[in-house]
Amino acid sequence: MAILEAIKLVKRFGPVTAVDEVSFGVGHGEVVGLLGLNGAGKSTTLHMLLGLITPDAGQVRVFGMDLARHRVEVLSQVNFAASYVDLPGPLLVHEVLDAFARLYAVRRPKARVAEMIELLELGPLRGRRMMDLSSGQRTRVQLAKALLNAPRLLVLDEPTANLDPDAGDRIRGLLSRVAGENGSAMLITSHNMREVERMCDRICFMAAGRIVAEGTAAELAGHYGVVDLEEVFLKVARG
Amino acid sequence: MTTLTLPPLGAAARRQRILGVVRRDFAALRRSPIRMFEILFWPTVELVLWGFVTLFLQSQRVPFVVTFLLGAVLLWQVLQKASNEISIAFLEDIWSRNLLNVQVSPLSSVEYVTGLMLFALGKVAVAVMVMAGLAYALYGFGVMTLGVGLVPFMGVLLVFGWSLGLVGISAVLRFGENAQVIAWSLVFVVQPLAGIFYPVSVLPEPLRVVAWFTPASHVFEGMRTVMAGGAVPWDRMAWAAGLNVVYVAATLALFGWALRYARRHGKLSRFGD
Repeated sequence: MAILEAIKLVKRFGPVTAVDEVSFGVGHGEVVGLLGLNGAGKSTTLHMLLGLITPDAGQVRVFGMDLARHRVEVLSQVNFAASYVDLPGPLLVHEVLDAFARLYAVRRPKARVAEMIELLELGPLRGRRMMDLSSGQRTRVQLAKALLNAPRLLVLDEPTANLDPDAGDRIRGLLSRVAGENGSAMLITSHNMREVERMCDRICFMAAGRIVAEGTAAELAGHYGVVDLEEVFLKVARG
Repeated sequence: MTTLTLPPLGAAARRQRILGVVRRDFAALRRSPIRMFEILFWPTVELVLWGFVTLFLQSQRVPFVVTFLLGAVLLWQVLQKASNEISIAFLEDIWSRNLLNVQVSPLSSVEYVTGLMLFALGKVAVAVMVMAGLAYALYGFGVMTLGVGLVPFMGVLLVFGWSLGLVGISAVLRFGENAQVIAWSLVFVVQPLAGIFYPVSVLPEPLRVVAWFTPASHVFEGMRTVMAGGAVPWDRMAWAAGLNVVYVAATLALFGWALRYARRHGKLSRFGD
């Protein structure tokens, strides 16, 4: 059974068709990358998959359930992190995680928060306010929040955009390990092609609201007659 | 279904999610000395202002009960804070760019609103307790003067304030962040109609009809009756409570509609940009 199925999703904002009949799926334990230029429709697609935006047409099915009709059941097993979203600034790191552990109805919130703090190496930051953290540190807290409920589907919109190469590398390793251990499916957008090549089992390229290419990094490179994903990106972006 | 989390539709999960909202907002309040200060500052300023007006009128031997001004300012704070606190709690999610995190969590709209209401209730309770203490210490005005009416008076105002707060939140969801001004000011539109510092009878006839459908007006009329030595007008309180039931149901529906509108038009994704 597919963990996530996007079925002919359409979203228009006035005269602009942001997403045009987009269909794809994510299987159990699979990591799928959604790539494209800025404005290609990636974030709108992700937001439809998370219930933040209602599609004009099409359907989102998660764990076999219609998201529109089973919002609470679906979202309790999904989580999300994005570089453009923040967590409440005045709260201490452990308070933020505790609050979200409760929003996700985690059974033993304090113990789970402690696990996440250890996993993301947030111990020294535990008692610091979110607003006092660097953007890289905030990203790590976002990811801790995103793993609190051991999600079966993790949606990450440019998860390592604010991290230095070392921190980014560690986070990629961690996410791959989590996906491997928990069997979590992941849907990721990123402009870091090395990251996508390293993490993703399959890649969907979006342009002008449509999926224009789909496959593994090697398949896509072969299809476009280039050596790596970076060049595939440029070929797709430049038509 | 992972055993790490409670069954999402069960009562325990719902309770935990609602308390999660309350705990989060309480933690944010605790970490913000300015917000703590603000809970008490403006109510205290109003209390002191109207307290001196009361003392002045008493010294001029004005031939009517003037202490009702102190009762009025205390009860007005219940209405104003109940309305504004629920709006502020929501707006803080926008200001801190945290709204998306909340909206992609399994927290339902009803749970979210319930959490906001409970938190607002806590803040109102703290503010009223401090103000009541100050009113007694500075002016010898005991809030218990209102007798058994105190509980229904405050209850009606609290629930009506929540309804106004929901209208403010709905306006922001529908019209965007520029509509914040509605969230702040709506309660002040109600102020002249509610007969807080004067009887509703001084209003022109058409506004008296509007006031009749404003739950707060029945509270302030009732308060004056009680402070003048009369009995709690239970018939008015029942009418006000009935109006509140209708208004809460209507504003919850409005909130649900505004949220659906925001999702349909992609507005949730753009808040805080």
